[in-house]
Amino acid sequence: MTEIKLKQVRKSFGDVEIIHGIDLTVESGEFCVFVGPSGCGKSTLLRIIAGLDNVTSGAIEIDGETVNNVSASARGLAMVFQSYALYPHMNVYKNMAFGLENSKMPKPEIDRRVREAADMLKITDYLHRKPKALSGGQRQRVAIGRAIVREPKAFLLDEPLSNLDAELRVTMRKELAALHANIGDTMIYVTHDQTEAMTLADKIVVLQDGLIEQVGPPLDLYNNPQNVFVAGFIGSPRMNLIEATAGQNAEGWSLNDTNLSVSIPGVDGLTDGARCTLGIRPEHVSISTDGAGHTTARVAFAEQLGGETYLYCDVEGLPQITVHQPGQLPVVKGETLALNFELENMHLFDANDQVIVNKVKG
Amino acid sequence: MSDSSTNGDGFGDRAKAAAGWPVMVSFQALNYPLSAIQRIVGIQGMPWIFLLPNLAFFGIFVVIPLFINFAFSLTGGTELFLGNRVYTGTEQYGFLLECETFGDPITCREDRFWKGLYNTAIFIIFQVTFLVLFSLITALILNQKIRARGFFRAVFFFPVLLSPVVVALIWKWILLRDGILNAFLVSVGMDKILFFVSPEWSMFWAVFVSIWAHMGFYTLILLAGLQAIQPDLYEAAEMDGTSKERVFWRITMPLLWPNLLVVLVLALIKGVQIFDEVFVLTGGGPGTATQFIVQYIYNTGFTEQVQNFGLASAASVVLGVVLFVLTITQLAVTRARDNG
Repeated sequence: MTEIKLKQVRKSFGDVEIIHGIDLTVESGEFCVFVGPSGCGKSTLLRIIAGLDNVTSGAIEIDGETVNNVSASARGLAMVFQSYALYPHMNVYKNMAFGLENSKMPKPEIDRRVREAADMLKITDYLHRKPKALSGGQRQRVAIGRAIVREPKAFLLDEPLSNLDAELRVTMRKELAALHANIGDTMIYVTHDQTEAMTLADKIVVLQDGLIEQVGPPLDLYNNPQNVFVAGFIGSPRMNLIEATAGQNAEGWSLNDTNLSVSIPGVDGLTDGARCTLGIRPEHVSISTDGAGHTTARVAFAEQLGGETYLYCDVEGLPQITVHQPGQLPVVKGETLALNFELENMHLFDANDQVIVNKVKG
Repeated sequence: MSDSSTNGDGFGDRAKAAAGWPVMVSFQALNYPLSAIQRIVGIQGMPWIFLLPNLAFFGIFVVIPLFINFAFSLTGGTELFLGNRVYTGTEQYGFLLECETFGDPITCREDRFWKGLYNTAIFIIFQVTFLVLFSLITALILNQKIRARGFFRAVFFFPVLLSPVVVALIWKWILLRDGILNAFLVSVGMDKILFFVSPEWSMFWAVFVSIWAHMGFYTLILLAGLQAIQPDLYEAAEMDGTSKERVFWRITMPLLWPNLLVVLVLALIKGVQIFDEVFVLTGGGPGTATQFIVQYIYNTGFTEQVQNFGLASAASVVLGVVLFVLTITQLAVTRARDNG
């Protein structure tokens, strides 16, 4: 069980700074997911922790020991690569045993570890096959097996599921979660897929442009985003974000824009006439039955999934609004609907995109 | 075919529209003869029709000469046309291969052939070994992140662009009695070395110049092989705590093996065929110290007073068989290695 700490970690390539000073603690046994769009620095950060790249400044600590100058292999971490990085000329057994042979471990011990890991990952039947004779999912298992046999202090996984098809990705996601529950080691997982982050993580680190936007448990990030970026990035479909102007009135505030009028109770941090962003998740937008709502929209596209319905609605002058409702809604393309926003689940962000309040009412 | 992208004459409408009228006219012009041929040979036969130009070229310039050469090897006399030549059966082969002791060329009836074979074997052993070794080392260095990498790649490849005669002449200017190298030796107080008078020096320079001239090509093949190895594999090995030596022997070399084999086979075949550079550089001398098998064939068939086409052809066939056996052996070794 291992704790990993990053202290003011910065990384530059030439004159370009990619990571701008990151402080983070990954607790022992935690499944921590780095998530963010392409180019946000999440893979670079993982490689820095692995020892494959050096930090420009700052410190990496593993169990309280600074490892900036410790080689990748001596850090005692194992990495699973996006491309699997299996040695194509070795069979599965040799792939898994290779790292252990480097440390001159006795052969019976190597054999025991390889067979145990193969058993755990259900790849015993493929031990004598070469990687090219395996499916994507089997290769992924071998890559994980190669990490497991080393009994590392922590696992680093760099987008390990991104090369798999959608169905297999879901299966492997469950298996990874079960594996973490089984072995209980610290895992750091990089992905750009927020669904993977939400389903796997104990703690999510949202990164953008080499900076941490927010750190926290998945539902905390979902329910209490600290800024517009996190609000938009976490959750699928993404949160509806609508810019409006705040106006003070006798009951509290009204948020207005073309074709939008939302009255909310008193909120600290709003100023009269200020631009703000209203955030409302698709499942918190309802269809008004009496024709009166916060806005009126025309259905541009309806996705009927059987158990749930997604509506993509156009409102003139506003961004498209997504509505998510359970069950099958009898709505057709082009229909005009009055939409209501649940104030108890409405988020409000200031002109600098920072949160003012995560529950406008309640 | 009746979908919207094709019409009755078998060519895509969109392709025609995109390419403009000259292509359309060409398509139409080709369409009628090709349709007529297809009616005769059927759709199954069409691939052979498209292969025909290449097959014809290969047949006329490779396969037919191969058979003509073999036919010549079964004849004697000095007549040029096969029809006028005397059939001698395997007499030429008997003449070539008759030796008291096969290890000693002097005891063979046609000792120049055996001397040529012996010289070629010596040449190949050193040339192929060092050529592959230097190409590999150069490729490994050029694959590193070194300064001016592109420039060095060009420098190493440059000799490949030169004609073999130019290569030989350049080195002749350097190595002759009054060449640049001897001028340098004299300037530092040493005696001149008569490189082309000593059999050992002549063989050394034949090997050296050949390596210098061809190394760039083989380096390029190996460099392509090295660059095709996924960088992730090296990072995985680094995470596994693999030493640099072990990375080289257990990861780089096995993954480079297909390219290395290509280099080995090509270098070996080219080595056996060595002629022009050495012919210009040393003329096969001193004596027959650098006379290789191809030069023997050339001399026997074309430069001697009695042009013995039959014997030269028989020597060519023997050379062809040797090359064939070498290639098959190398491929068998590779196959056994891949399966094992």
